[in-house]
Amino acid sequence: MIDLVQNTIDGLMIGSSYGLLALGFTLIFGVMRRLNLSYGPSIMIGGYFGTVLYLQFGAGPLVVAVAVVVGAALAGLYVERLCFAPMKAGAAIASMVSSFAVWMQLEQAAILVLPRHTYAFPPLATGAPLEFGPFAVRIDHLVMLGCALGLAAAVQLLLYRTRFGLALRAIIGNPVAAHLVGVDVRTVMPLAFAGASAIGGVAGFLVLAVDQQVTPMFGMWATLKGLIAMMIGGLGSVPGAVLGGLLLGVIEVQSQWYFGPQIRDLAAYFVLFAVLALRPRGLVGSLSEASTQKA
Amino acid sequence: MFEISDIVAAYGQIEALKGVSLKVESGKITCLLGPNGAGKTTLMMTIAGILQPRRGSIRLEGTELTGLTPARIVSRGVALVPENRLVFPEMSVRENLLAGAYQRRDRAGIDADIERMYARFPRLKERREQMAGTLSGGEQQMLAVARALMSRPRLLLMDEPSLGLAPLIVAEIFDIIAELNRDGTTIFLVEQNAHMALKVAHQFFLMEQGRITFSGTPGQLAEDEVIQRAYLGTRRAAG
Repeated sequence: MIDLVQNTIDGLMIGSSYGLLALGFTLIFGVMRRLNLSYGPSIMIGGYFGTVLYLQFGAGPLVVAVAVVVGAALAGLYVERLCFAPMKAGAAIASMVSSFAVWMQLEQAAILVLPRHTYAFPPLATGAPLEFGPFAVRIDHLVMLGCALGLAAAVQLLLYRTRFGLALRAIIGNPVAAHLVGVDVRTVMPLAFAGASAIGGVAGFLVLAVDQQVTPMFGMWATLKGLIAMMIGGLGSVPGAVLGGLLLGVIEVQSQWYFGPQIRDLAAYFVLFAVLALRPRGLVGSLSEASTQKA
Repeated sequence: MFEISDIVAAYGQIEALKGVSLKVESGKITCLLGPNGAGKTTLMMTIAGILQPRRGSIRLEGTELTGLTPARIVSRGVALVPENRLVFPEMSVRENLLAGAYQRRDRAGIDADIERMYARFPRLKERREQMAGTLSGGEQQMLAVARALMSRPRLLLMDEPSLGLAPLIVAEIFDIIAELNRDGTTIFLVEQNAHMALKVAHQFFLMEQGRITFSGTPGQLAEDEVIQRAYLGTRRAAG
């Protein structure tokens, strides 16, 4: 019983980073109605920005965090200009395929510039875990959970309380109608794209700081985790992304504890399969019904 | 005065508009008739800036609109109520109206206009917190009209407002069109329902295969034999 609860706590902590990854993913999907496979690799580029500052100049966690977020946003903007802005409406597959090509490009660029497989990343908090009775919580995990929930709430507020959020939801609801009411779609879209990549950057920083290392493979890892969590929660939904991430984290930790590390990813895919089979829209459904229908 | 001259628009190799010219007089209701595929919606989308014309010019009170982004065109005073309404389904009625005022920054004026829309469309007031996607077709049409009015347009474009609506609702929509016009809004309307359009419009154009093939007053329209047969149904049935 204690194991079960401890695993759940750990799972929620780890899952909060998946939730953040899914959040950025889902915003891009909702606004563009296209899958950005280069999402994770953009975050990985941000991670490399951070690790260079850390290793070359001994930058502290806060500076590194800003570097990762800015790097991810810039890389995201690069992906948007290359794979999304030039593609005509309806050419969703073209965007997805070209985002795969840019994924390979970003990964190879990282390997060319920094050829070692692994680079150190600064830790977030190095203290003994907090103990609550029989349970223990890592401090960096706690920071991760706090940042994830805070950022998700901020995104929700942005979407529902600001003019920019109104513009985003208008585009998500109906891009043509968004044009017609005067939303400058061609300005809002790249901003949303960069913002979503920056959210991914926050998630990336938190995960890398816990792992204390970065590799070129982080890009694929982030895309996969974000994608699975997003699909479990429901494409295009902010609460869905967070919920999907938390659930994915718990499933991974529990299955690893009870069935071993080989089962960990298998269990995640199985749950994804089960959710899609039983509730194809995901657990929460989407910000726009139309966006899932047309996807 | 709103003036379109020699507009050519194409999808790839296919020219949908082959040099369209027409004038819409301020304060009047002008109606564009035509069969499916004539290019009426293409013309509306081109005016709104969603589609870019190959050549030609579109001017509102002398200001050129071609080449501007859709957002700029809205801020110049042109609002389109699109075919099939295109309300934002996952936003409340109120939020749809707010979105309609996206280009405006006068918070107090926007709030006052929302109240005015509620007064004009009482059913929207009843349903203000309801998601627009759950409204009936007629209510969605009213919402689409109200949303367009929220930008305070000098020219209101309407693309087939009667499409898919029950006759009673269509009559209601046309009452609203006449009422808006009496309050001073210039309206440029695309319709297939020529009978309803005849009751409200001051000026008619007929478009066929991307060209304007007739222009005239309601009286001239009603006298034209070809139009009689094709769009109004013949009145010589007994003959």
